Amino acid sequence: MARADTLARARTLDRPELAYLLRFPTADGMRDLELTWAELARDTEWVTARLREHGLAAGQRALLTASGFEGFWGHAVIGALRTLKVPYGIAEAMGWDHRRTAVFHRELNPHAVIGLSADTLEGLAGTADVGEMFRATSVVLARPAAVPLLRGVGVTASVISAVGPALALECPERTGAHVNAAEWRVGERDGQLTVAAGEGRASSLDETPLPIAGRVVTGRCACGSGDPRVLLAEADRPS
Amino acid sequence: MVGDRDTADRYFEPQVETMPREQLRARQEKKVLELVEYVYANSAFYRELWDEHGAHPRDIRSLEDFRARIPFITKDMIRAYRARTGDPFAGLLCVPVEELTSVSSSSGTTGDPEFFAEIWQDAPPLVTAQVRDLWELGLRPGDRVLSPPGTFRNFMDAGFQALGAVVIEVDTWMGNMPGVVEALRTYRPAYLQMMYPQMVELEHLAEKTDLREAFSSLKGASCAGQPLSRKMRERIRDDWGIDVYEYTSAADTGTAWECREHDGFHLWEDTVFAECVEVDEHGWHDVPESDLGELVATDLDNRAAPLIRYRSEDLVRLSRDTCGCGRTHARMWVAGRRGDETVVQGRSVVLRDVWQAVEDQPETVAGVFQIVRDRREVDELRLRVGYDPHLTGDVDALAGRLSEAVRERTGVKPVLDMRPEEDLLKTMTSVAKFPRVVKR
Repeated sequence: MARADTLARARTLDRPELAYLLRFPTADGMRDLELTWAELARDTEWVTARLREHGLAAGQRALLTASGFEGFWGHAVIGALRTLKVPYGIAEAMGWDHRRTAVFHRELNPHAVIGLSADTLEGLAGTADVGEMFRATSVVLARPAAVPLLRGVGVTASVISAVGPALALECPERTGAHVNAAEWRVGERDGQLTVAAGEGRASSLDETPLPIAGRVVTGRCACGSGDPRVLLAEADRPS
Repeated sequence: MVGDRDTADRYFEPQVETMPREQLRARQEKKVLELVEYVYANSAFYRELWDEHGAHPRDIRSLEDFRARIPFITKDMIRAYRARTGDPFAGLLCVPVEELTSVSSSSGTTGDPEFFAEIWQDAPPLVTAQVRDLWELGLRPGDRVLSPPGTFRNFMDAGFQALGAVVIEVDTWMGNMPGVVEALRTYRPAYLQMMYPQMVELEHLAEKTDLREAFSSLKGASCAGQPLSRKMRERIRDDWGIDVYEYTSAADTGTAWECREHDGFHLWEDTVFAECVEVDEHGWHDVPESDLGELVATDLDNRAAPLIRYRSEDLVRLSRDTCGCGRTHARMWVAGRRGDETVVQGRSVVLRDVWQAVEDQPETVAGVFQIVRDRREVDELRLRVGYDPHLTGDVDALAGRLSEAVRERTGVKPVLDMRPEEDLLKTMTSVAKFPRVVKR
């Protein structure tokens, strides 16, 4: 196997612990944060548990829509799908690529669609009944702006969103998107979310205001998780 | 800047990349013989097709047998099988769907995107086959790369990271070039992947931004999706100071990159068996190495859904001579796509001639144009051309100049539809490809 040999050779390289250098918008401009392989592994483990709660399991298929600069959370989602033995199709999250999402959805009949964007929905709306398309999909994890559009046409959508460097993922209870408390501290200040890195993260990040309107709910969720939940204003907007 | 890197260890897998051709051919033959057994046992598409042609693995004992007995396949045949059976993988899949890791897809510029079934561990197949090319470009552990814009062939990050590079998450898609320039200055990456629309946008920024300074940390940048025009390439290399590496599709089996010699695209022949043939109503024959033919490819490293004797429709010249870089794997030079030629009242018009006329005008130097036609033979040459509004005072005057330039190059006076280039680029339906021939 030629590619396997190439990767075997690559594994002999002296590789850094760092996987990503993430730029994310804060209330005061762009901010950098380093992301290590060890952190990615922990993020993957957390996402695996969340997707398992949504019922994802071997024998199913998923569709992931993402952009090239979203690898920092895409890596964790893909790792989780691999752990769960769920093959995934992949399409761009940009609106003009909506046809790819439509083809994957039609042909692969995915159990879960992850990362659906409002731009994709807008593109799809020109040629398809979005409600009919996604009502039959068991798990729809959509970006905040897409959630009200989906709920408005009767699709039971849950939120997936980057909250600064953290990933927020709503469980089937749909009472806010969980953020991994072991890795991040989320808070709110004047109706805007804040994020800080947990002690285990390699890069320090003090409490940082984000340009994301929302609230934080603490206390145990009905799903059993003690992770805090963020209620994103964009996801609760009337459709 | 160009060539500023360690050249002592340019081969990532020297024993493979410089393998004597007899050994390479022996390796290909072994893989092909295993492949025909494997797909006949596991692929409904190939079993049906080969049965129709009286081809059976037991009769295939050499590469010569393989080429003599195994029929070509085309994209239309795959689509027809899919339409007839409802199988999204068109019968090509050799494993149960549950064994797949992922499914990526083609650009979809000529119809629904075609699926690529993938099985992988550390990195997806497409970018894994680029690791040697990225090493040749100079990427090394600890280097930084900017994340590429597209995901339709899967995230590329894992390939860069396999080489120990750190991915900087920056939105590099159209409309974000000022942010990209800022990121280049801040993070000093070694590598950046670019697509055609980004080049056009950068061209606009060049007026007010010192791109040479911004790009000065790059060991190289790649460009894919469609060929760069001569002028654009010169601009990138000479004015912006980027050692630009074009790459192209290896007939959907992987990619083929330029090496530092910039003299053709290397096919990795341990992953693909490449043929360059002329096919007509009487059959097919090999074309001499100096002539143009159609690239036909066979996947040698794909147990999910291998393409076998797949006609790419790419017109190429193929050489198996050792490259100046010392690699023994074949190189190809791409002339265009079969079917892109337009015949206007009996006169042949090729994209290259139109392109040169378009990029010779300052207002249309980015080469954003499309031939609009509903069939290959037409009565008039209809061209949709994108101009830079900031450089264009009088669109009618530009159209007059351009019309004359096209007539001089092609012998045909075009019917022009002038649009702001951004409007045309927005019609792209793929992150990689700007369609040059469109129906409307």
